[in-house]
Amino acid sequence: MKKHLLKILALGLVGSMAFAATGPDTYVQMTFGEVDSLDPAQAYDTASGAILENIYETLYTYKGESITEYEPVLATDYSISDDGKTYTFKLRRDVLFHSGNRMTCRDVEYSIERLLVTNPGDSAGWFYAESLIGYDGVNAKDYFGDNPSQADLDKYWEAIDNSVQCVDDYTVQFHLIKKDPSFFVKLMYTASSILDSKYAIENGEWSGTKKDWYDWAGKDLRDGFLHTHDAGTGAYKLVKWDGKDVIAERFIGYWDYANKPQMKTVIIKVVDEEATRIQALKAGDADRITVNNRATLDTQIRGMANAKVIESDKWLGAAASAVFFNQKIAAQDNPMIGSGQLDGNGIPADFFKDVNVRKAFAYSFDQDAIINDLYLGKAVPLTMALPPSFLGYDPNIPIYNLDMDKAEEHFKKAYGGKLWETGFTMTIAYNSGNTTRQTVAEILKANIEALNPKFKINVKAMPWPQFLAAYKNGQLPALVLGWGADYADPDNFIYVFYHSNGYFAKKVGYANPEMDKLIEEARSITDPAKRAELYSKVGYLAYEDVPVLPLPRPTGWMVLAKNVYTKGAPAGMDVYNNPMRSGSFLWKDIIKK
Amino acid sequence: MTTFIVRRLLQLPIVLLAISLLIFGMMQFLTPEQRAATYAKSEQQAKNLDLIIRQYNLDQGFLVQYSTWLKQVLRGNLGYSKQSHEPVVTTIRKRLPVSAELALYMFFPTLLFGVWMGTMAAIHRDRFVDQAVRVFAIIGWSLPTFVLAIWMLAVFYGYFKLFGIGRADDRIMVEFAKGTLKAYTGMITIDGILNGRWDVTLSALKRLVMPVATYTIVASAQIMRVLRSSMLDVLNSDYVRTARAKGLPERVVNLKHARRNAIIPVVTIAGLMFAFMLEGVFFIEIIFNIPGLGQWAVPAAIQLDFPAVIGIALLTGLVVSIANLAVDILYGIIDPRISFQ
Repeated sequence: MKKHLLKILALGLVGSMAFAATGPDTYVQMTFGEVDSLDPAQAYDTASGAILENIYETLYTYKGESITEYEPVLATDYSISDDGKTYTFKLRRDVLFHSGNRMTCRDVEYSIERLLVTNPGDSAGWFYAESLIGYDGVNAKDYFGDNPSQADLDKYWEAIDNSVQCVDDYTVQFHLIKKDPSFFVKLMYTASSILDSKYAIENGEWSGTKKDWYDWAGKDLRDGFLHTHDAGTGAYKLVKWDGKDVIAERFIGYWDYANKPQMKTVIIKVVDEEATRIQALKAGDADRITVNNRATLDTQIRGMANAKVIESDKWLGAAASAVFFNQKIAAQDNPMIGSGQLDGNGIPADFFKDVNVRKAFAYSFDQDAIINDLYLGKAVPLTMALPPSFLGYDPNIPIYNLDMDKAEEHFKKAYGGKLWETGFTMTIAYNSGNTTRQTVAEILKANIEALNPKFKINVKAMPWPQFLAAYKNGQLPALVLGWGADYADPDNFIYVFYHSNGYFAKKVGYANPEMDKLIEEARSITDPAKRAELYSKVGYLAYEDVPVLPLPRPTGWMVLAKNVYTKGAPAGMDVYNNPMRSGSFLWKDIIKK
Repeated sequence: MTTFIVRRLLQLPIVLLAISLLIFGMMQFLTPEQRAATYAKSEQQAKNLDLIIRQYNLDQGFLVQYSTWLKQVLRGNLGYSKQSHEPVVTTIRKRLPVSAELALYMFFPTLLFGVWMGTMAAIHRDRFVDQAVRVFAIIGWSLPTFVLAIWMLAVFYGYFKLFGIGRADDRIMVEFAKGTLKAYTGMITIDGILNGRWDVTLSALKRLVMPVATYTIVASAQIMRVLRSSMLDVLNSDYVRTARAKGLPERVVNLKHARRNAIIPVVTIAGLMFAFMLEGVFFIEIIFNIPGLGQWAVPAAIQLDFPAVIGIALLTGLVVSIANLAVDILYGIIDPRISFQ
């Protein structure tokens, strides 16, 4: 018996030694952070986007690494009316859904209308609604509250119904409520993926008619069929998502199957522990893993026999973050502003209204320290709160960097010299674990306190829920906020950061009429050169007015198995990386050599 | 005995109700915004926090929320877990077999190893074997689980490419996903046999080696120490001296007479160990990437994923109550002096 046991054990060991790498036609990616939903109208996070962009398709998409060049996918051609309010798309005729149903204009109409009908609060529906129907970008239930009149609802439904129309089976028209230069790129976001209307309706999703539209308004789509099922046309179809890992397979009926994807099976695994991901890469069980910080690359990945680190100074992502100075801090029960007065023991609620205070803080901020300490030298400073690859980014605008003399000069000017006399006490909070926010807070504390013994900044770590609540209630005096692009248009950043009605600016009480005018003009015209000029003006004005202090952008990297490449990689690179793609590249472009 | 068991089982719903009230009470200390944090992972998503609060009734009073929740529970609905992106009941149904399988394979080696080492230490008191066992116990007891787990992972998996992580080969997991392999029990080692596929069972067993070894080293220390000290007490008792005086061989005295009595405290520990193993092996599940309850419960608690937290608490209450009951019944079997009246 013992002998037998030993034999079995030995066999088991040999068996486990022989386990191979992931195989020539299987791609395994290990990442952290789960998919939130596989319903395109609900998903608004990168983990979900990275799956959706492969199992669903949009009318047009980004070409290779570019965010300014596009290629047709489910459409073949498009035109824009002279007044910029009607977009007409010719659709591809030979497209099959994963169910076997053929795609027609009806599906496009259904997909976009469904997005506008449901538009749950935590989805991307708002920016489609803003272009197509107005209503502040919110769904009917949230817009009208508890007792809407029938007339109001009829009007809302009509707006949805008129916004997308089929000219014939293969021609679709979008009618905008006003000119919107970013509408075309909005259609490339996964939320506007085209789904199989017949299959969705058969399985209990919205009927596509007026009859039950209001029942679906604002609905949490995570209860629905499409949350876990796929109704797409993509090169890959979903085999299973179990709330954690995703398994997908090459779709044989894909309209572009002539360019057959090499990977037959794709597995996206959620592996929360970085050490585990690294060991899996080492053991040959992963083709790509997520590595969170640069130091790990140098200490653990480089030099690994079967792995490679791909990086580029051009990979700056489609995101921007900045330090915000809150000009209307919530004063009630807020320990972060101490006494709430300019008496040395606190700060008033409008402490940052004085531009000198903002400038003093900006000059106390050490960009180089952030670049060197936090990003090990691999980062570039931003001249404005806009990703450098976007239209309108102006690299010539000056940036604020550490200058203690100028900081002192502005602190002395602030509040007619009173601030320098009395000093101040305030708290800068960050959410525990967020090293960027922590570093920013500590740098500001160190430099500002060194200027004047009466200046006191407390740095406080808070758990995420508490931090979020304080943020929402406007209690944070100065904070770091980041924005990831929804669509590749500068307006998606500039409006948010600088316009008095923009999400962030509004939150921190920043309003500058001159700024608003520039931004409004830029979002109402389509000429790229003219828009770029306006955005450059915005950048210069922001430098003068310092509503926010843009933070440096770290350059990106990818950790892959040695034999993984993609089609369409730029010269000298193994893979392409499009900042607007949640997964950097598409699965159908993966090649193993 | 039957009356005893029935009475204990009837107490269960009351225990669970108390647990739910307690947790609900504690949740009232959090503001609606803080509770909504589980739905917003970034400030960008917090854009519509008010809508989220309204959608999930997070701003309602204690009684309204509790009665709403209770009505749902009575219909078999524990709510939606934001952490697992699906209903809580679905997640428990999926993850419980995973944790149970892991617990089963960890439980017996840990228990047997602990009992054997503890016995050896007591019998050879103050001699080399005893010292060695005690050193091992101290190391096992004080070594953080995740340190040992990462070390195992790096050496056996990363370097020697042995065993593997997760539950089975990717190839097999794809077959389960497609339905060509049926998940009868959710325990892959058993499902492999039921599907008539030994390769599946072997693949799953291979992946259990590292987690089981890690847990055995860490957890058997406690059993070892308890058994050693209770065994020493028993070995010094009158009846053992009598047995020796009667001329019984040392082996019979130790293993038949002494150990049976010494094992009573171990039963208590083992029962609780099994109960908490279902969720208490968080680090092992995280590091070896095993999608069990712990891997869901801990992040859910940190994220204030309320439906998940309360679902887990109820499950824990249920398991601990049942484990306690089992321990009490076992007492009666081991020790005839204990009566259930």
